[in-house]
Amino acid sequence: MARLTLRYALLAAAIVVLNFTLPRLLPGDPLDADAPQGLNAAASTLTAEARAQLRAYYHLDRPLAGQFLLYLEDLARGDLGWSISKSAPVSQLIGERLPWTLALLLTSLLVAGSGGALLGLLGAWRGGRVDQAVVTLASSLAAIPEFLMAMALLLTLSVGLGWFPLQGGRTVFAPTAEGPFGVLRALADVTWHLALPALTLVLATTTAFVLLARGAVRAVLAEPYLTTARAKGLPERWVALRHAAPNALLPVLTLFGVRVGQVLGGAIVVERVFSVPGLGLFTFEAIRARDYPVLQAVFLLGSLGVLLANLALEIIYRRLEPRHGA
Amino acid sequence: MEPEASGVGRGALLGGAILALALAAAVFAPALAPHDPRLPSGPPLLPPNPAHPLGTNDVGQDILSEWLWGARSSLYVAVAVALLSTLLSWTVGLAAGLGRSLEGPLMALTDLLLALPSVPLYLLVVALAGASQQNVVLTLGLLSWPAFARIVRAQVIALRGQPYVEAARALGASTLHVARVHVLPSTLGLLPAKLVLTVRYALFAEATLAFLGLGDPAAKSWGTMLGWAFNDPLLFGRGVWLWWVAPPALAIVLVVLATTWLATALESAQEHRAGRAAGPAETADQPEPARAEGVGGTLARPRAGEAGWQ
Repeated sequence: MARLTLRYALLAAAIVVLNFTLPRLLPGDPLDADAPQGLNAAASTLTAEARAQLRAYYHLDRPLAGQFLLYLEDLARGDLGWSISKSAPVSQLIGERLPWTLALLLTSLLVAGSGGALLGLLGAWRGGRVDQAVVTLASSLAAIPEFLMAMALLLTLSVGLGWFPLQGGRTVFAPTAEGPFGVLRALADVTWHLALPALTLVLATTTAFVLLARGAVRAVLAEPYLTTARAKGLPERWVALRHAAPNALLPVLTLFGVRVGQVLGGAIVVERVFSVPGLGLFTFEAIRARDYPVLQAVFLLGSLGVLLANLALEIIYRRLEPRHGA
Repeated sequence: MEPEASGVGRGALLGGAILALALAAAVFAPALAPHDPRLPSGPPLLPPNPAHPLGTNDVGQDILSEWLWGARSSLYVAVAVALLSTLLSWTVGLAAGLGRSLEGPLMALTDLLLALPSVPLYLLVVALAGASQQNVVLTLGLLSWPAFARIVRAQVIALRGQPYVEAARALGASTLHVARVHVLPSTLGLLPAKLVLTVRYALFAEATLAFLGLGDPAAKSWGTMLGWAFNDPLLFGRGVWLWWVAPPALAIVLVVLATTWLATALESAQEHRAGRAAGPAETADQPEPARAEGVGGTLARPRAGEAGWQ
């Protein structure tokens, strides 16, 4: 356990250092309006004084070691810098948007994980045609990038059929949420708006879960303990769910850790398509404005969040599987 | 169930044909394109007509020409990233597997890169370095090698205990010689899978970056086309998407599917050659990779037919 914690602490430290060094190592200067990439929209509107002020604000006029100490100090205070395009503290801007992305991430991971695992179990258990259909479905889904999946769903279910809203996180000009019914109504409204973004992420994420659960269940299909369970006269469904499925549970659990980072990337893309007011849309706006402090904060928080999720999963994993680790 | 041999063959054939078509479009784009994709050649948002078989976009550029040149841009990035990433995977895998002193730092770097969520990292790096085609290739290529470096290293570690490798060492062969003559050839079985998977991965990644606004405006790819099209707020309100969005979208999906089929065929061919009793599907999705730290612990994970950012 101590080694595990040390490993993750080292990784976290490396991420914090990387977040500091990356902008300084890479070519290009965000404050240089004449940079060769010629896309520094934010910088080109600044006067020389404003530029010098920003340089001083980011301590870019000091020696590197001093910059690093100041960077750590800011981080310790929860200060992630000042957004160039929105003129507000990055941490505040992110705090406002984080719930949307977290809700999207968690629901889609849970649905993709449980749904995918059940589908994989079904394929492995039934075999034959069913299995082939499951594998074909799963691998076809994997061939569609998230943004295309999002556009296809938007086009068919929102534009075409009108079942879901075109964009946004909630209905604009909706009556304020007051009283128990108002809150419920607001909640239903948000769910309705997030349904398609979440569905996109589920479809894009589920493949790995399907294939992994299927493989895990297939690996135990011929085990004697299943024959024993059947010999006891247990119904087939019971044998599948209570005897075979638990074997698929552990690998599926670890896959959550592997997928968190990918789903985060997917959320960024999907939020842009559906204009969900979360971190993803914010990131997209930051890219357009070349708002580097925001991109840096998203990278830092995203990486640390993914790391934390992995640590939590690993601890759970060790609880469930005492053979692992040591 | 074990896929029928003819099914795999058909998949490989179809995949190969699609890839060949896409490559032809990429190579002969200058000859095939009816217009210069960078210049407006008609009124904006023209529906398909004889002069513009796929109509024009919002600034009057010919979409068919854009699409053909987009094939060139997309496939160039995909292939260049695959080559760079493969070279690095093998270099790191061999060095970490054979060089005692290198193993620690190289594996630490591998662990770190595998722990980072790729999209936020790529967005930051490409935004900072500038969204040129060259920077996209370098970013994706330099950051996508870890998963396979681990796999190569695992195989090298299995090989380095083999009697013939020990014999070579006992005879005084240098590490470089052992790597080149005795170890490298035995790891090359992984090569086709890595190349194909990375082509697919790079295609995805490039398209996603381009869609998010980090495409090279001077070398528009299929992803860039989609990103630009999607900036039009009325895109889906009219029929425009049918000839503006569908062609690049279908191209991306078809090429990705084609590489998947090809990868599956290559894998099963390899397994048949290796004379394994188990069917391809049997070994492909063993629960093996499910090690807690296991971002791509074995070949099984990247093989599992997933979207695969890594």
